[in-house]
Amino acid sequence: MDLFLEQFPIVIRSLNVGFLQTLRLFFVTLIGALPLGLLISFGSMSRFQPLNTLTRIFVWIIRGTPLMIQLLIVYYFPGLVLGNAIWGGGETGRFLAASTAFIINYACYFSEIYRGGIQGIPVGQTEAGLVLGMTRSQIFFKVTLLQMIKRIVPPMSNEIITLIKDTSLARIIALQEIIWAGQSFMKGSQGISGVIWPLFFTAVYYLVCNGILTLFFGWLEKKLDYFR
Amino acid sequence: MSILEVEHIQKSFGHTQVLRDISFSLEQGQVLSVIGSSGSGKTTLLRCLNFLETPDGGTIRVRGESIFDASEQARLSDAEVRRRRLHFGLVFQSFNLFPQYTALGNVTLARELLAKEEPDYRTRKAQIHREAEEQGRALLTQMGLADRMDNYPHQLSGGQCQRVAIARALALQPDILCFDEPTSALDPELTGEVLRVIRELADHNTTMIIVTHEMAFARDVASQVIFMDDGRILEAGEPRQVLEHPREERTRQFLSRFSQG
Amino acid sequence: MKKNIALMLALLMMASLTACSSSSDSASDTTAAETAAETTAAETADDEESSAAEEDTTAAESAAAEDSDLAYIQEKGTLVVGITDFEPMDYKDADGNWIGFDADMATAFAESLGVEVEFVEIDWDNKILELNSKSIDCVWNGMTLTSEVTSSMDCSNAYCNNAQVLIVPSDVADQYQDTDSLADLTIAVEAGSAGEEVVTELGVATTAVSSQADALMEVAAGTSDAAVIDALMAAAMVGEGTGYEDLTYTISLNSEEYGVGFRTGSDLAELLNTFFSESYADGSMLEIAETYGVQAALIEQ
Repeated sequence: MDLFLEQFPIVIRSLNVGFLQTLRLFFVTLIGALPLGLLISFGSMSRFQPLNTLTRIFVWIIRGTPLMIQLLIVYYFPGLVLGNAIWGGGETGRFLAASTAFIINYACYFSEIYRGGIQGIPVGQTEAGLVLGMTRSQIFFKVTLLQMIKRIVPPMSNEIITLIKDTSLARIIALQEIIWAGQSFMKGSQGISGVIWPLFFTAVYYLVCNGILTLFFGWLEKKLDYFR
Repeated sequence: MSILEVEHIQKSFGHTQVLRDISFSLEQGQVLSVIGSSGSGKTTLLRCLNFLETPDGGTIRVRGESIFDASEQARLSDAEVRRRRLHFGLVFQSFNLFPQYTALGNVTLARELLAKEEPDYRTRKAQIHREAEEQGRALLTQMGLADRMDNYPHQLSGGQCQRVAIARALALQPDILCFDEPTSALDPELTGEVLRVIRELADHNTTMIIVTHEMAFARDVASQVIFMDDGRILEAGEPRQVLEHPREERTRQFLSRFSQG
Repeated sequence: MKKNIALMLALLMMASLTACSSSSDSASDTTAAETAAETTAAETADDEESSAAEEDTTAAESAAAEDSDLAYIQEKGTLVVGITDFEPMDYKDADGNWIGFDADMATAFAESLGVEVEFVEIDWDNKILELNSKSIDCVWNGMTLTSEVTSSMDCSNAYCNNAQVLIVPSDVADQYQDTDSLADLTIAVEAGSAGEEVVTELGVATTAVSSQADALMEVAAGTSDAAVIDALMAAAMVGEGTGYEDLTYTISLNSEEYGVGFRTGSDLAELLNTFFSESYADGSMLEIAETYGVQAALIEQ
């Protein structure tokens, strides 16, 4: 028990540092992937056939391969094949590479959700806007966008909750997120070795974080409940 | 001068000819009723007038100004299309109200967005906003919806929704207001309130084109009736003449189905 | 382009097959074959470089030194050392600085080259990938010189002795004092480690896990009967006063040596050998070894 009390603050400090990295990856991915996904969804709905086809093939490739492979390729490919290690070896480079892979991957998933949301809106909404002399962008921002958001909140909340758990995949390129921090005490770190509870304790961080997200999306759904 | 002159309008979807050589004209304050079985091209005609479809041939003039000419080679800019389509308003069969706006919001939205393009928008912002709202309230009151301004579409009955849609179309003060089967999506007991509103508009000399299956209503309100069949105008004239003494066999067949029902 | 495709394939294979040592042999064969051509070129550069280094000039700028690893790291000014948290070789002190026998030696080596040292924690499974993609410049982390390691990296001379030892629960330790007694066990080993190699040679069933620590946990949790890990690590991690008080280690299955790994064709391995013999001769290497209690395992340079 004494040993545990002695280890606890060291472990928590380390897990906090790891979790900060987890959160950083989470938010950077969201900030990048939410708008990029919208662009990709426009591409996949484009009436310009080459763009449409190209976008759909890209989305198929990204969604059809494991994120773990994409992380390895994004991080190692430039140095290995092009002979130019653009990311560098340090923690910053690893974070940038991980963010890039996550943003591309999640933007593709988001784009499909957006596409479903946009195509699910009756065409009459756009026609009503056109007849009232609105521009295409006014129709998107003032009429369809909010209806789309309402439609996509449930699938997006699933995807975003998956995202926070998926960030642990970034440890494959040695990004030191919370699982890495937890595992380090098994191998031995800061005088503590062969201890497994920090790894299991990381689950608490994920649970709390996803609890907050679930509450937020519940609130958002309720907030959008004023129209149908 | 006629307010609307439509000449030789043609439209095909693929190999199907939907409109074949449609020509008619309309005077200020007149009400034109378009009747015909479904698939006869009535709705497509309205959509062509509102630029939701582009005709393959023909011309459309409003107050003598050409707003569509199929022989014009140059593609119109989006802004120009928007300016021209504002000569027309359109009330849809399925209302197409914006669900996230209140009744009042639906009526004022387009006008406020249009005002943003005016050069003095920034300085007159508050005033424009107030004017749009005043106009919206007046229109909704005129539609008998004074107590429903702040309700969302899903809180309104079908008849109320359609009246909001009419107010929304009127807010932009179109030269010609088009109705695409405005009562077809309504329960029978709700059609009366919508028809009453349209009749009031007719009494105030609003120029309208109404695609409808309500023959009694067409006879009462319309100053002109067109019977369409297979993309053509088969018969046109005064309501009494077309609806009570049709010359064509097809018209008789069509009308007999309604008198029996 | 052909080379790129081959490397790409190797990358994918390494990523998916690291758990399976027999398959990863073929992956590293591909890499070795592809880099063979480079090696000849690098050797030429090597010769020119070593003569230039003696004159202590700015050889890095010369065109001939383009393929030289020394020139490469001197140009960027840092030696990036790939490590894992591994007491007593590389670990963090209370202030978060990397210390340990390997860490201190690496710092001294970088200093002798006139560059900064940067320690980067890596996933041990990906060490060759990290080296070849230039995200690190060397692996210096108590790395056992197995045939797999020496075929895919250019390694320094051995500097430390090590052994692979058997970890079992303390209460049954007396039953497992020779290799014959292992026949019926399932032994957890780190995938791609020296431990896996020796156990496989004995023909005993193995469970491959992703780290030596995981192997220990397998035994503690009862999911494997025993584990085979590095002696230096075992000394630090099992027995009295550690997290695994109920485990102990018994027989050594082999004896082996630690070395430092560089990219194939790198001129740094030879420079490090020179550095090792100099610091062994002046006693500074022994001094550092004593600080971390590994002096008994030190190999004469």
